[in-house]
Amino acid sequence: MSQFLEYIKMAFANIRANKGRSFLTMLGIIIGISSVIMVISLGNGAKNVITESMAGIGAGQIAMYSSDDTGSYQITSDDIDAIREQVDGIKGVLAQDSASGSMKTSKGEFTVSGIGTMPDVQYFDKTGIERGRYFNEREYLSGQPVAVISEEDAIRLFGSTNVVGMDLDITFYDSTITFTIIGVQKPQDSSMMSFVYEDSPVQVTFPITVFEQIYGTQVDSFYMVYMLAEEDADTYRITSEVSNLMERRHQCKGEDIYQFENFSDYMSIVNTVVNMVTVFVSLVAAISLVVGGIGVMNIMLVSVTERTREIGIRKALGAKTGSILVQFLSESAIITLIGGLIGIVCGIGGAYLISGIVGIVNPSLNFAPAISIPAIVTASLFSCGIGIFFGIYPAKKAAKMSPIEALRRM
Amino acid sequence: MDALVDVRDMKKIYNPGENEVHALDGVSLQITRGEFVAIIGQSGSGKSTLMNMLGCLDVPTSGEYYLDGRDVSGLGDDELSTIRNEEIGFIFQGFNLIPNLTALENVELPLIYRKVPAAKRHELAVESLKKVGLENRMDHKPAEMSGGQQQRVAIARALAAKPPVILADEPTGNLDSKSSIEIMRILKELHEDGRTVILITHDNGIAESAKRIIRIMDGKIEADYINQNVQEYGGAKKA
Ligand SMILES: Nc1ncnc2c1ncn2[C@@H]1O[C@H](COP(=O)(O)OP(=O)(O)OP(=O)(O)O)[C@@H](O)[C@H]1O
Ligand SMILES: [Mg+2]
Repeated sequence: MSQFLEYIKMAFANIRANKGRSFLTMLGIIIGISSVIMVISLGNGAKNVITESMAGIGAGQIAMYSSDDTGSYQITSDDIDAIREQVDGIKGVLAQDSASGSMKTSKGEFTVSGIGTMPDVQYFDKTGIERGRYFNEREYLSGQPVAVISEEDAIRLFGSTNVVGMDLDITFYDSTITFTIIGVQKPQDSSMMSFVYEDSPVQVTFPITVFEQIYGTQVDSFYMVYMLAEEDADTYRITSEVSNLMERRHQCKGEDIYQFENFSDYMSIVNTVVNMVTVFVSLVAAISLVVGGIGVMNIMLVSVTERTREIGIRKALGAKTGSILVQFLSESAIITLIGGLIGIVCGIGGAYLISGIVGIVNPSLNFAPAISIPAIVTASLFSCGIGIFFGIYPAKKAAKMSPIEALRRM
Repeated sequence: MDALVDVRDMKKIYNPGENEVHALDGVSLQITRGEFVAIIGQSGSGKSTLMNMLGCLDVPTSGEYYLDGRDVSGLGDDELSTIRNEEIGFIFQGFNLIPNLTALENVELPLIYRKVPAAKRHELAVESLKKVGLENRMDHKPAEMSGGQQQRVAIARALAAKPPVILADEPTGNLDSKSSIEIMRILKELHEDGRTVILITHDNGIAESAKRIIRIMDGKIEADYINQNVQEYGGAKKA
């Protein structure tokens, strides 16, 4: 072991004695490792942001839709009540309907996207209410025109967030309804998922029963409803129980009319896509590592030729084949390891730089790179491995030299 | 007393087949511990070839070679490395120091390959450099030293591991006369310390400082005699 350290020391001494050349040799490895680290950090960072913001919005959500377009298998309010009562592990169920309208305030004229929904909407909203509250069961049942708007919209409409109790006169089709604001939603924390722009409609959420005043009839059947599973509930069990219940209630056993989409399915698809992109780009970057490795091999071959005499001297003084081999192998391994470490630092720096630039150019895409320890460890081992792999040929060449041949050459 | 070096009918043929060169053509010789032997001969006579064989740097085409009682003619590369490391101290015409290393590091090299621990190694290397009068040049690289100083580093390196045999091939070949005198004085001291010194040279003047002279020609020993009139090298010139 201590003998091994001696060879490592020799290798270091020689790298130090040829600083410029050693650095140039490292360059290929530095570029390769730093691009791999950069791509992985950026990819993981993007994945984290997407996962977080999507999980914030939709974790535990299950959508059920009727795949029948004749309208005879639509989902009714009674179905919704039945699901809520008979299936365990469901926190909330809702259906919604929307209509666009318009309104005027002292700040100007706005288009409105009106969303009629059910009291359980409070569970679906992961960001929560900043002021006031969502509507309750009583207001829902009696069709009270009470509304919840977002903080951004409150500012657009009134220049203030302190708007609970104010009225909104919104015209849907020909009827104007006066809503009372009872709640203001917190702004969504994830900038990536909020696409509020100048002319986007004001979103107003209210009991779906209010639509009765607009359409004249009750909105009672839906193509799609959303369910929210309790945090630790098994969404697959819920899906199958709801499916059975619905098929029983509509007498369509086994016809697969009611389809489900689980939010975690979406998540895994998104993750798979991001992973694939990351792996693909990393592979491209890894090619430069191989090129870097070949560079190391070239320089080591040149070095062996140049140092033929040194090898001869060492052998004459008693160095064995193995000693020379280890010395030259350590040299290439140390060069690539140092290159790898510099590459890791540059890669992390580069990832922050790029995400910083992206954040300045497009603030809505702002995200921090995620530095993965396994990626760093793998990169270090891999670069060392490249040094050993591409160092074997030159080192063997050096080690096999006969001392007398090596000494004779000037 | 057993011979330290015992060579029997050694032959070395370069380029066997076509263009054969019989560089050694049946050499037999014995050298006892503590001798100071000069091997002389004209250019191309086979001196360096003999030195390579005696130093286990190369293997003979045929013949036997016992070094310190051990048959080394059939050994493999790594075993020969060990023999060179333990039995022989080389001094070459071209010094053969490693340019990246300081004098001290160069002297430590054979000790590293002998697996001497760092502290002991340093001690032996310093002691050895003192013996050749270079204790104040230990941290100099070869390029920062004169030829004579470089050759003294090489001698220190040959001494450091305290091998029984010192093999010097034209040690003064690249040096001016003043440095040559210095080198020869050191070699003589080594001999007086009880070491076996084998000196290869084509210079009769230098050979005169040895107690025994072996003259070779065309790969054969032409003469092997005791030098009745050992002269200190350089002494004659002064007179
Ligand atoms: N590697 C080799 N291949 C072929 N022939 C060689 C080789 N080495 C030496 N010779 C030949 O062997 C003979 C002896 O060479 P050697 O080097 O032993 O001579 P030398 O006595 O040391 O001469 P010098 O005084 O010039 O150093 C020479 O004729 C030389 O040409
Ligand atoms: Mg010669």
